[in-house]
Amino acid sequence: MLEFIRLHRVEIATLTLEHIWLVAISMAIAVLIGVPAGILLTRKPKLREPVIGGANVIETIPSLALFGFLLPAPWLGARADRIAITALALYALLPIIRNTYVGITGVDPGVREAARGMGLTSRQMLWQVELPLSMSVILAGIRTATVLCIGIATIAAAIGAGGLGEFIFRGLAMVNDSLILAGAIPAAILALAVDLGLGWLEARLRPPSA
Amino acid sequence: MDQTAIAFRGVTYRAQGRVLLGPLDLEVRRGETLVLLGRSGSGKTTALKLINRLLEESEGTVLVDGRPTREWDVISLRRHIGYVIQETGLFPHYTVEKNVALVPRLLGRPETEIQERVAGMLRLVDLEPQEFRGRYPHQLSGGQRQRVGVARALAGDPEILLMDETFGALDPLSRAELQQQFMEIQKQVRKTTVLVTHDVGEALLLANRIALLEGGKLLGIYSRAEFLNSSDRTVAAYRACGNLQFPGDDRHA
Repeated sequence: MLEFIRLHRVEIATLTLEHIWLVAISMAIAVLIGVPAGILLTRKPKLREPVIGGANVIETIPSLALFGFLLPAPWLGARADRIAITALALYALLPIIRNTYVGITGVDPGVREAARGMGLTSRQMLWQVELPLSMSVILAGIRTATVLCIGIATIAAAIGAGGLGEFIFRGLAMVNDSLILAGAIPAAILALAVDLGLGWLEARLRPPSA
Repeated sequence: MDQTAIAFRGVTYRAQGRVLLGPLDLEVRRGETLVLLGRSGSGKTTALKLINRLLEESEGTVLVDGRPTREWDVISLRRHIGYVIQETGLFPHYTVEKNVALVPRLLGRPETEIQERVAGMLRLVDLEPQEFRGRYPHQLSGGQRQRVGVARALAGDPEILLMDETFGALDPLSRAELQQQFMEIQKQVRKTTVLVTHDVGEALLLANRIALLEGGKLLGIYSRAEFLNSSDRTVAAYRACGNLQFPGDDRHA
């Protein structure tokens, strides 16, 4: 095994970086869409059912199928990494939207009422009260989504988007356990590291309860 | 200046087709402490929230400084009025200093003035600024939190102060201390105050006048002496359940 790592170290490093890149870009997009969408739901409760419902439906599509569905899409279908990033971002949306919504609506009603009563505008309420107090819950959603995406990103190799899935699919084709592990182990380590790191941050951002 | 700070003119508040308050006609005089006394569901908190437009009347007009609240810009109206609630609503992620400085900062006051104001307000509520300004709400006792809540409400120097069961969640000793202190503060700042309570003892201790509410209707407005001597059955019932001894209290004499 060690011999295998030594021989393939450059490739392992390259594919790991590719994997991180795929997940990082997807997550950035998902956060940029998901957090504002979650905030919007707190302002327009009527949108809650359709939006959360829609994100739920996406979540139930098997990942391989979702990659397949996106293949014929114009522009997206032209490059495998675009498809992979789009699919991963779609998967990441649900936990992020849901946790943003739950985090903000979970802010202590007393704090919210006092803030309104003192004349905070809706925007000041969001930036000074709601977001700081729900940051740990929002981050918990981002953490769940990231760990999920690190796993799903291995399947992106099936459509040629690269990443650690390359080893896994090659290993499956060649019935070579070392190759499968060369993809699976770094992916697992990556997921654990992200989980621990974001978990630590989440605990630090948790507001003290009065 | 007009001696009426707040006026309710034929005000009704309805929710889901049910009348929760009114029709209510009531005036609050400048500088007085008016207590809205009543049991749960009597509409006292509803009346209070109509003043700073956390709720909006279904009919009639609420006037603040002679202007209908609907004509005020709601943000200016609220910054013109201090608001203290039972759970204090202190921001748990802000230090005492930041909590108290909130409204002056929103009003764009200069930073040196804000710092002086925070220190002044903390001293007013008997909290040593050096010791308390850096603490977070969870590092304070219930009574200290309420003091910070009062300091925060007064920090923007509002004309009007609204207090909703402010002392309600405290243990009896802290409550008595804070009530006494509130009377001291009120002597210094003379804010028009509307205080909601179900505690008849508190009402008699703090009020210049008591407005008694029952089932969303105003039963009457009483001075302390009138309340103590009224033959009205509801007033008598309140008297019977309250602890009405106030040794050493000469404020209402």
